[in-house]
Amino acid sequence: MRGMWLIVFVAALSANPVCAQDRINVVASFSILGDFVKNVGGDRANVTTLVGPNGDVHVYTPSPSDAKKNADAKILVVNGLGLEGWLPRLVQAAGSKAAIVTASNGIAPLKVGSEADPHAWQSVPNAKIYVANIRDALVAADPPDAAMFRANAARYLGELDALDAEVRAAIAKIPPERRKVITTHKAFAYFAAAYGIAFLAPVGVSTETEPSARDIAALIQRIKADKIPAVFLENLSDDRLVGRIAAETGAKSGGTLYSDSLTGENGPAPTYIALVRHNIKALTSALGN
Amino acid sequence: MLTAALITPFTDFEFMRRALAAVIALSLGGAPIGVFLMLRRMSLVGDAMAHAILPGAAIGFLLYGLNLLAMILGGLTAGFLVAILAGVVSRSTGLKEDASLATFYLASLALGVTIVSVKGTNIDLLHVLFGNILAMDDQTLLTVACNATITLIVLAVIYRPLVIESVDPLFLRTVSRAGTPTHLAFLALVVINLVSGFQALGTLLAVGLMILPAGIAKFWSRDISGMICAAVVSAIISGYAGLVLSFQTRIPSGPAIILVAALLYIGSVLFGSVGGVVRQLFPGRHLEA
Amino acid sequence: MSAQLQFRDVTLGYDRHPAVHHLAGDVAAGALLAVVGPNGAGKSTLFRGLVGILKPLSGSISLGGLDARDIAYLPQTADIDRGFPITVFDFVGTGLWRATGLFGGIGNAERKKIAAALAAVGLTGFENRAIGTLSGGQMQRLLFARLMLQDARLILLDEPFNAIDSRTSADLLLLVKRWHAEGRTILVALHDLETVRAHFPETLLFARGPVAWGPTEEVLTPDNLLVAMRMCEAFDDSAAACVADPQSRAA
Repeated sequence: MRGMWLIVFVAALSANPVCAQDRINVVASFSILGDFVKNVGGDRANVTTLVGPNGDVHVYTPSPSDAKKNADAKILVVNGLGLEGWLPRLVQAAGSKAAIVTASNGIAPLKVGSEADPHAWQSVPNAKIYVANIRDALVAADPPDAAMFRANAARYLGELDALDAEVRAAIAKIPPERRKVITTHKAFAYFAAAYGIAFLAPVGVSTETEPSARDIAALIQRIKADKIPAVFLENLSDDRLVGRIAAETGAKSGGTLYSDSLTGENGPAPTYIALVRHNIKALTSALGN
Repeated sequence: MLTAALITPFTDFEFMRRALAAVIALSLGGAPIGVFLMLRRMSLVGDAMAHAILPGAAIGFLLYGLNLLAMILGGLTAGFLVAILAGVVSRSTGLKEDASLATFYLASLALGVTIVSVKGTNIDLLHVLFGNILAMDDQTLLTVACNATITLIVLAVIYRPLVIESVDPLFLRTVSRAGTPTHLAFLALVVINLVSGFQALGTLLAVGLMILPAGIAKFWSRDISGMICAAVVSAIISGYAGLVLSFQTRIPSGPAIILVAALLYIGSVLFGSVGGVVRQLFPGRHLEA
Repeated sequence: MSAQLQFRDVTLGYDRHPAVHHLAGDVAAGALLAVVGPNGAGKSTLFRGLVGILKPLSGSISLGGLDARDIAYLPQTADIDRGFPITVFDFVGTGLWRATGLFGGIGNAERKKIAAALAAVGLTGFENRAIGTLSGGQMQRLLFARLMLQDARLILLDEPFNAIDSRTSADLLLLVKRWHAEGRTILVALHDLETVRAHFPETLLFARGPVAWGPTEEVLTPDNLLVAMRMCEAFDDSAAACVADPQSRAA
């Protein structure tokens, strides 16, 4: 009888390490990637994000607590394509042994001047590639949960397919000559390429460059010449400039388009899917008849 | 051909007209203040103030989110506190004005950074707060115009004691009690001009159009009223020429205006009628008496 | 003659060290008083106390009903920004502050007064010069001209003839006498005893505290001067609290 209890006791003890390995620590560089990882990882992954909701991932300055998050992580998921200029130093400083996963692997980047445009997640087909890369990384790092990750990913990819179809259907309803907008942030090139809406912007790729009068004048002339119907703001930059351009051209101000980050829980874009839905709704109501 | 370059940008585009109006208003209010700042050896106070307003803006952000009005009022309050505390300390102790201001603005900046980091967001608050001259909407234009009006009126009232206080403070102290109120009123004007200048036009233009014209004027007049006129005129010329330059080339508008002002300054250093280098090197024949 | 100024056992100093120690006495209205003493005697401190820049450590000074605008003060070293772009005319014109205040215009009458003041000090023709171009003596004349325009009942001059040539000092001394003849009360801090003996009827010999006060011949005796000379210049860090000080008596 006592031997039985001993066996049970030893079995229980040896089962513990297996339970403790359950949640794999993953750090994502910004909120959109964090959302992808959460969807694939489910409750088997403990996800933390460096640049949180409403943050600006282009100009982020990491803090010591970020270094700590990195040090504890097994996987670090980054966008790549030059988005996180501040990351290499952080990784080095944290002395982290995390495996770095570039979510945009396998995507042929669009160019802005001579550099790559990092906003690849804006097109849903690209987002699916991101999710696949993340799934493969999780599977490699945590084989016991591979089945779970694959199942989550498959379900999420299905949701993304549905989303893609939604977007295409919505855009089809907009008359072709009205498929062009102005926005402040040159972050929608991938969206434009995938879905056929032209995005024009007065400032450069990051939120730091300042426009010249010539750039603004050229933009105004173009809007008037091409009869561009709507102007959109981005949740991080100078909305007064966009408002001025709208006032001078008679274009309609369409609200806010979200590009580089999710909003908080109570905002209109707490997840990637919600973000895309919000954007497409704003676009169709501004551009539709 | 020349008319096309100099006049048509303003007749064709409303944002250019508004920018010109803003520059004129800023010159009328800011340039006289800049002359006094320079004569009182406070030329670097603009930069100091840009940092000093941070805790006020941060508190405004904490309480009301990205509400521009809250952040401006917060910034104004912080600016006033720093300026007035520095002024009072330097008058009642042996500490000179510049040291007094330096200590307060550094303390203020540290406080601001602490507040922002406690909240845990990485939004560059000051970036949000600072505006752009090409984005003059009705409200901002009105602010800049009001600012100039208030400044001119208050300056007219305190002109005489301000001049006396700048050249012979002990004399003013012995004949009148107007010394301290005048000094504080002047500091208040400096803060108002700077803060509203920042939020309308950004730091570079707000501070630049105060200080550079004062430097230019020094080489063209021996008398303070002449200096003030010269400063206002050179500020307006810089603004106009800078806007034209930004329109014809791809130089951003703020830097373009300041670059023109800098060129005028170098020209004045060399060829100015009062103490210009060329005049010193080639004074001509000496007079009979 | 009524007393214009009353020193009521006043002590003035810096950081609790007395520079003027228990001064008591009256200055009559319309007096011309020389305040004499070696360097560091406390003459400038006394004037600062009179003007109100320095608050007494104990005791008080009564100004006989005068307020700040009735007093004209010429400090020993003027902290004037010579580089400031202001003309001689405008600078002297600031002396009219009492009359014009913030907004009063400088009309014809005022211009005449300014011109007269400049003429009295021999600076006619200098109206449009920047103050930075004046020599030391010319600057001192300028300050006298401004003083004139202040039209004050009490005039305090702290070592006004230092570092200027004898012709200028002679001219300015004539001005002082003219003001005295107009009934103003004038105190002048000097250390040139010849000038004092020649032009000042009354003298206060001062060395941290009053040594002698009265008609000049009686005050400037060799014995008195010796006492004044022996005064120590540096403040004594180990000095105890003064027993005559009412505050310490109460404690």
